[in-house]
Parts: sequence; C-alpha cells; structure tokens
Amino acid sequence: MVVSRALRREDNVIHLTYEDMMMIKKEIIERNPLLNLGFEREYILADGGLGAVLAHAGVGKTALLVQTALHAMMHEQPVLHVSLNDAVSKVDLWYRELFNDMASKYDSTEITQYWENMLNYRFIMTFRVEGFSVPKLEERLADLMQQNIFKPHTVILDGLKFDESGRGLLVELKEMAGKYAMRIWCTVHTHRHEPPKEDGLPLSFLHVADLFDVLVQLSSQGPEVYIKALKGQLPDSRQDALLLDPATMLIKS
Amino acid sequence: MKFDDQKIRNIGISAHIDSGKTTLSERILFYTKRIHAIHDVKGKDGVGATMDSMDLEKERGITIASAATYCEWKGHEINIIDTPGHVDFTIEVERSLRVLDGAILVLCSVGGVQSQSITVDQQMKRYKVPCIAFINKCDRSGANPFRVIEQLRTKLGHNAVAMQIPVGLETELEGVVDLVAMKAVYFDGESGEEVRVEDIPPHLRAEAAAKREALVDAASLFSDELTEAILEEKEISPELLYTALRRGTLKRELTPVYMGSAYKNKAIQPLLDGVTYLLPAPSEVENVALDMNHHEEPVVLTGDPEKPIIALAFKLEDGQYGQLTYIRVYEGTIEKGSTIVNVRNGKKVKVGRVVRMHADQMEDVDSLRAGYIGALFGIECSSGDTFVSPGINMTMTSMYVPKPVISLAIVPKDNKAQMAMSKALNRFSKEDPTFKTHVDPETNETIIEGMGELHLDIYVERMKREYNAEVTTGNPRVAYRETITQRADFNYTHKKQTGGSGQFGRIAGYIEPISDAEFVFENKIFGGAIPTQYIPACEKGFRQSMAKGPKLEFPITGVKVVIDDGASHAVDSSDMAFQAAARGAFRDAYLRAKPVVHEPIMKVVVESPTEFQGSVMGLLNQRRGMIIGSQDEGVMCVIESQVPLGEMFGFSTILRSATQGKAQFTMEFALYRQVPQSIAEKIALEAAKNKKTAA
Repeated sequence: MVVSRALRREDNVIHLTYEDMMMIKKEIIERNPLLNLGFEREYILADGGLGAVLAHAGVGKTALLVQTALHAMMHEQPVLHVSLNDAVSKVDLWYRELFNDMASKYDSTEITQYWENMLNYRFIMTFRVEGFSVPKLEERLADLMQQNIFKPHTVILDGLKFDESGRGLLVELKEMAGKYAMRIWCTVHTHRHEPPKEDGLPLSFLHVADLFDVLVQLSSQGPEVYIKALKGQLPDSRQDALLLDPATMLIKS
Repeated sequence: MKFDDQKIRNIGISAHIDSGKTTLSERILFYTKRIHAIHDVKGKDGVGATMDSMDLEKERGITIASAATYCEWKGHEINIIDTPGHVDFTIEVERSLRVLDGAILVLCSVGGVQSQSITVDQQMKRYKVPCIAFINKCDRSGANPFRVIEQLRTKLGHNAVAMQIPVGLETELEGVVDLVAMKAVYFDGESGEEVRVEDIPPHLRAEAAAKREALVDAASLFSDELTEAILEEKEISPELLYTALRRGTLKRELTPVYMGSAYKNKAIQPLLDGVTYLLPAPSEVENVALDMNHHEEPVVLTGDPEKPIIALAFKLEDGQYGQLTYIRVYEGTIEKGSTIVNVRNGKKVKVGRVVRMHADQMEDVDSLRAGYIGALFGIECSSGDTFVSPGINMTMTSMYVPKPVISLAIVPKDNKAQMAMSKALNRFSKEDPTFKTHVDPETNETIIEGMGELHLDIYVERMKREYNAEVTTGNPRVAYRETITQRADFNYTHKKQTGGSGQFGRIAGYIEPISDAEFVFENKIFGGAIPTQYIPACEKGFRQSMAKGPKLEFPITGVKVVIDDGASHAVDSSDMAFQAAARGAFRDAYLRAKPVVHEPIMKVVVESPTEFQGSVMGLLNQRRGMIIGSQDEGVMCVIESQVPLGEMFGFSTILRSATQGKAQFTMEFALYRQVPQSIAEKIALEAAKNKKTAA
C-alpha cells in the first residue's frame, strides 16, 4: 500500500481514507506533465541529471516545473525550489494554486490535510539574481543537509539568465547535482526576436545545451501552449500532444 | 478651533519594529512646534520620546499603546496616532487604521520591506487606507532608498514612485532633491529646523531629471490635464503634478515615496508637506455605518457636522481623572453637555469634558466635529463601541478581533494586590479586545489570555507599575483545541427515576467534522419524535459539551451535530432531561469520532545575517518548525517558518545568543494544526496531571 507508507511519517497523522488518497494521487500522477512525452523514468531525470524547460516569457515555464515538483512531493521526494525572481510567498502561491486546481473536486478539509503534509517535502529559497552563485547555493544546502533539515531529491532553479551566466555556472551546477545525487531542473527564458535553430534550440543556448540531459520546450501557438521534448526522450517514442491549459496552467492532453 | 474639513488630516504612522516611527513622530511634533525639545526614544536623556508616555515604553524603547496627538502644519490640522510596531499589539494598529484616513508607511533604508511592513500593509489594504511612504535612516551605512522602492513594488505590489532623491547617503546625507519643485532642500540649525532651498547640485541633475520624468509619467495616469501638458511639452506646474499624484494616492493606486533621516533631522518638513498635499481630508474618505434598524444595511456617511452624531470609541485609557475615551467623530458634532447613546447597550451618557490629546497632555475644547479625533472624559464604555445621537440606531463596522492563543495563570501576592489586580484586569480587558481574563472554575486561578508571550508580559508588568499589583505568574499555556475526524452515530437515552416525576429523553443522530464553522446544529426530526419545544434544549446540551472535551478538556471546535430521531415521555421529559440527554449523546459519540488535538501554529519570520542562517534554521527545526523558505537579501536573510506556539517560549533569548544578538524575529498566529501523536500523548499526560492537582 504505497500511499499509506507515503503518509506514515513519524510525526504526522493523516486521516484521509485510502480511497481519497488514491484518487488525489492518481489525479496528480495523470497530470505529471512529462510522462507522455516519451521519457524513460518516472522522474524523467536520473540522479545527477540536469534538465531545462525552454520558453518565451509568460508561457508557463514555472507552472510546468511546479507541477513536476508537486509530482515529486506527492511521492515523498523532497523538492528545493530556488527562485531568482520571486519572493517566497509568491513561489508558495504557485504551488498552492496549482495544487488547489488539481484537487479542486475533493473535499476541502481532506485537501488541506493532505497539502499540509506535502509541505514537509518542499523548501523554497530565493536569491537576488546578482547575488546567486552555485557555491553559495551549495553552502546553504550544506547547512540544511548537515542538520538533517532537508535533503532535496529534485531542485527547481527558476530565473537563471543563461545568456549572461556563461557555461562555468552550469558546469558547477551539474557537478553539484552529481555530488548530491539530485536532479536539477532549470527554466530557460528564450527571446522572441531570436529564431530557433533546426533542432528547436535558440542560438544563445547552444553553448550549454550539451550539459543538459533533458530539454523540454513550451511554445504558444494561437490560444494553445504546446509541450515538446527536444532532448532525452526514448528514440522511438511517440510524443503525444501535450498542452498547458492557459486558464489554469495545468497540463492537459 | 478652526473648522475647515479640507484642512484636517487624520493619519497614522505604521511600520516594522525599530524603523523609527516614534522618532519620526517626535520630530514632527518638534517641527510643528508642539514640543520644544527633542528627546531620544530609549530615554538616554531621562525624558524619553513624547509619544511613548508610559514608563515601560520609555524603558523598552517600543511603543505599546498608541497615543494620539494633534499638531498644525502650514494651516492644516494633523491628528497623528502613533501605532505600535510589535505584532503582538496588532489590534492597536488595526484599531488605529480603522479610524484614520491616511498613513505614513515608515521603512528602513537598510532593512527595506520587512516582515512586519507586510503585515501592516495588509492591514492598510483591509481598511483601504491611502498611504505615502517614508524611507527613514538614510544616514545609516548600507542605506539604499531605491532598493526599498523596488521592494515596495515587488514585495508589496505598490506603484511606488520617488518624490525625492537623496543628496548624499549614509554619513554624507545632507538633504534631498524635491522632484516636484526641482530644488535641493537642506536642513540647517541644531535640530534641522532651518530649511534652505538651493539649486540642484550639478552631479545630481541628470539623475533628478530622470527620476522626475518617472514621477511625472506615473502621475499622468491620473490626470488628463497632466498628460496633455506632457504631450504639448508645456511647463508642468507643481499644483498640476500634486493634483494628479493626490488622485492616484487616494485611489491607493500610487504610493509617493519620501526619504530622509528622522534621527539626523533630515527631510521631515517635506514629508509633512506631503501629508498635507497628498493624504485625504476626512470628507474624501468613504466611511460606512451599519443600520441596525434595517438588518445592518450599510449606510455611507456624509461627514456632515450638522447631522446627528455617529462616533467610534477606538481606544480607552485610565488617566489621572478617570477613564479617557479616544473617539473619532464620523458625522455630527459632539458638544460638551450633549447627550449621546452607546449603541451596544443603549445607555445614554452626558458628555462632560471634551479634549484634544497631545500624548499625555491635553487641551480642553467645546466640541468635536465630524472628521475630528479627540477624547472624552467620564464615559463608561469598551473599545470599539459606537456612540450616536438619541434616536439613531447605527453602528460603525465591527472590527476584526483575533482570538487569543496563549494563556497564563496569575496569582496575587496578597489581598491588596488582589484588589489592584482585578481593577487592572478590568481596565485592560476593556482597552484591548485581544486581552481576555477569566477565573478557572477548577483551580480558582485567574487566567489571562492574549496574542503572544510579550503581549501578556507587558500587561503583567503594567499591573505592577500602574496598579501596584504584585502578582506571580504560572507557565504560559497554549490554547489547544480538540476536534473530531470522522462521523459517529449516537442513540442515547437519559432516564432517571428518583421518586416524584423522573427525567426522560432519548436523542439519536450523528456528529461529523466540519471545517468552516465551530459548531453547527441541524434538526432532521420529522413527525415529532422529539417535541419541538425540546429541540432548543437539545442544542443547548450539545453546545455545553463543546466547551470542554471529555478527555483532555480543551474546547472542541469543528463539529456538526445532526439529530434525526428520539423519544419523549409525556410526564418525565423536560428541558433539563433533554439537555442531559444531549450531553450524554455527545460524550458517547465523541470518543468514537476519533478526536484529535489541534495546536496554534505561528508564522515566525526571522531576519538574520546570512552567516547565521544555518543555525537559525537549526533552531527553528528543533522547535518542530516547518521552514517554508529562506530569502537571501545580500548581507541579511529572511527565514519564514511555521512553528507551534508551544515551542516558542523563550525563543527570543535563544535566538539572541545564537546570533550574537544580530537576528530579530516576528511572530503571529497563522493557523491551527493537528498535534503529532507523540506530542498529543505528552499533552494528555500534562492535562491529567493538572486535573489531579486541581482536585
């Protein structure tokens, strides 16, 4: 009984019925954005893997990664969300809104309980863009891990400027992912004025593209936002058309 | 007394702890010539700031009760309420905001938008109070007013726009450039009282021009005339610009930002100009009363001084000459000798002395007109009461009052102290709706309840100082609650035969958890299984049971009771019998409904130098805290967490020693959450122990 195990944390008592839990969990797993894109693993990235979501501003990079994070949290896998743009409260709001949308059809008491429990698996850190560096992040992370406060399974890094950061920072990031056996997802802001190359990658991203194991692109066409795997999917996989619902920012197929 | 509503400003000064609100108030009073010397907040000169009139405030350097004062600036009358900064005293801030028309949001140029600024800002939003911002402490090392403006935009979502730029910063701070007049302003003399206006220094001209453009641009959204003037490249007069800025400010769509240093006497006078130019007169703010004769229908007040009186008592103080009631008049005029009615209890009172307050000194006046804030003597009432002319039945919108989360037993030292204590408690609970007191029927101890450790500490201290009541305090107790987690059916018969007429009542139904109410009672009985006249007795019985859980004896919340069957006896059934049956039914079902204990969880925000981030997180974690996140702010970081109140006692001392006194924290109630099993067991043991002691 996977779910019961997931909730039997030493200090937390949860009173959801098994059926309720299964329903909510199933819903979120179905929402797991990237499963239908032909990736091999449940978490898409392997230990030490680096992944990126590429899109223009405002298309839904953060929403997509927050759903990936919720998926990991649902499986009791701790997620560290590092934001270089937004305050802690705003990042928290992303999680709350998307979770509430996903679970909107369930009883609010049960959802609140479930959400409270999931929060144990999330940690938000924010940095100012100019003050961010990998050694600094590693120092903060070491603080948490040494005291057994938090050890992330997945890291979401939102707001890094790739054209300015250079390759060095990403090499450090990849090393860190390997060292702590984490998966790191980044958002990549692509510019509208920059036409993509044949493989769909923007020119300003090419110098670091080889460091990433998985690349996913979001593109808006008319009222729809399409999700497409650019790198890391199984060679003969069939990519089902996945969309982000522009109203809720939830994945739909 | 002059009467020109357009020239009245009722303002508050709100901010994070230690941002310099009281220092700023002191300077304002000095420049408006209400006081003739400036005193330090921490009372180094033995006098203390004027607005901190209580001894305790002077000693601790914080403002506890807000003092109201008024002053005059360039023909305008400004009523100022100095509001407390610590979150434990938030009710004071809320009450002040309720009666104010505008506010100055004080921010520290180094600390920027801090946790308490966010709380205060939310309160201002709730009461729709327009505000201007003042970035204080520009003389401090690390001062960066433009970073603070950016934070106002990003963290608080204000459309913040600079009205000034500093001439020099940190120790070099000399004055400011006024971006409306495009002049540099300096503050000479021993206390900065001589304002010297000069041309903008050459090295600041380009920056000033750019910032003015941004200011004009922001203001143009609120004035077609200004937009036209910009398009036609006409000269923009200060009046035109101020009119546009004012419109934006009153709509709360624009926040003009002033800057300076209160402590160094820099740029307070331009801020006062800003108050008169940009904050609203009482008649420009919509105030709503509730008509009690028409199902509390909201009625917009006109602010007409000729109409019947509607006034709100927003603060009480025990002065030398009896109770002093701070009052804001919304409509009509309160005159000496006139009769007013307290809407809450219908009591008529005759107005004796009417005064205008200046911290703890006062000035007698004959009347208070609509829009004014003043104080009345000898009126018996509680904070938040509405006073009206006879024949009117309206009440001002009720204020949001949070429930206490912590309690403390207090024992008077002797009989004399007992008398003094009850007098003090009576006064405090009238003054502060978040402070409650009762006598525990089992232990016979007097219990005080409040919003935090410091909140109760201050009252105990005040009891000693102001009322000479020596008391000893017990350990603080957390306000735990019980609730149920699943449905449980009941079918209970209460039967007693003791000679004469007996007692009989049977009740059947179920209890189930609900999340959005404390108690719901639903009667689903059809066909008169329980006669209608006994239904209220059933409800009463269930309600009585909610006061104390059968096992741990904490109040129960979140229960829905549905009754759907029962039986009665023609002779032996009575109200009493059905009340007893309901209590028995509840006791019976409660334990089967899997009760759990909930504890208050506090939102704890720690601001600490980054080098202590790890140890602060460790401290929070040891206290069963859930860290929501950490925000890196350069040399400082902000750690946001949720920690059970029961684990927070003595945290300030521990935090100080772990961070060399460099970190500070704020704490406010966030939510009730279920207590982990291991802790629930401890609580149960403690409750059993207490019960034994009481017995």
